[in-house]
Amino acid sequence: MDTGQVTGIVGKLSAESRQRDLWRQFLEAALAGSQDEKATSGMAEALRSLLEELGEKEVADRIIDIGKEEPSFPVTDMLRAVVEISGEMRRENETTLKQLRQMLSELATPIIRIWKDMLLVAMIGNIDSQRAQDIAERLLHRVSSSRAKVVLVDVTGVPMIDTVVGGFLIEMFNAIKFLGAEVILTGIKPEVAHTLVKLGVDFRMVSIARDLEDALRKGIAITMEERNRRKQLALSLAGNEAGESGEDDDL
Amino acid sequence: MVGEKIETLLESPAHEFDVVVRIAREEDIAVARQMAKQLAQETGFSLADVTKIATAVSELARNIYRYAKEGRIMIRKRLEDRDGPCIEVIAADRGPGISDVELVLTRGYTTYERSLGIGLSGVKRLMDSFEIYSEVGKGTVVITEKRRRKF
Repeated sequence: MDTGQVTGIVGKLSAESRQRDLWRQFLEAALAGSQDEKATSGMAEALRSLLEELGEKEVADRIIDIGKEEPSFPVTDMLRAVVEISGEMRRENETTLKQLRQMLSELATPIIRIWKDMLLVAMIGNIDSQRAQDIAERLLHRVSSSRAKVVLVDVTGVPMIDTVVGGFLIEMFNAIKFLGAEVILTGIKPEVAHTLVKLGVDFRMVSIARDLEDALRKGIAITMEERNRRKQLALSLAGNEAGESGEDDDL
Repeated sequence: MVGEKIETLLESPAHEFDVVVRIAREEDIAVARQMAKQLAQETGFSLADVTKIATAVSELARNIYRYAKEGRIMIRKRLEDRDGPCIEVIAADRGPGISDVELVLTRGYTTYERSLGIGLSGVKRLMDSFEIYSEVGKGTVVITEKRRRKF
């Protein structure tokens, strides 16, 4: 095939000038048949743009059409190139997806020190086993290192709690309690509440607050109580040292 | 007989259903759930029922992924049903099968470590109808429906 024929074929392929350019680029590179790297990469580049604009089926149909009109056209080789390039594109997409997912899990669960001795975990989005694991690990580490007394867990942003997410939350709550902190759960939506009852998921081991405000109030009450108790203990210990006894009865 | 039923369902053409999701990876569970949710919303289910359907699909897909490794979730809406619009969810796999179906429907029964063992019995309670067919070595099929409440 010479350049004239290529122009003829390209003219029939598409009405749009940009797509015509891409086809021409692809066909010229493909028919040159040269094996040097520059030519193959040029062909791959043009083919990739065509696939992105037209889709796999359209490109394959066109290549078969060219083959029908021009028997010398290497249809099999061209289709093989299409398969290779779309495989490459799929792999690239998968890598991007993986990275985005990782970014999401890093972004989506902030652990915030919201008050003295109190942490807030705001869970957002669907939780799969990978994310669950990551959240639990980070939270337990933080509870232990910050010596928090209360952990508020807000699930307002979780659209659905099935038995797996429920099971994960129960495990995490129990682990937090083992570290000596209290858990207050909040943000369960009405439709989620209904589903939890039907499933029989039981969060009885933690206290539940109506909303974040309520949770915060409850949490502050717990931390205050704890502080008062410690203050009393310190006072009575000091009192004992000074030789005045009788105050330790109410401890 | 159960084996035949499983084969017919697994071979059933995709165009008979609104949604067909192949479950083979953990991500597929989220895809199945999301598509079920969308279909239920389009069919006009209330938010509470949409959540129930999505949760049931999530449990069924999770079971396929855990025990059978591979299978299909098929969902269709039936608008001309006698009792009003309805969504049918079918979960089918060629996995190990269940020897005692009654036992797995018992609350708290599980063969899986760290599982609550309430998934399948939960699905039964989330949905309006529930059928399970299973044969050891052949696979398992769960057919379940949710009807839209009349207003």
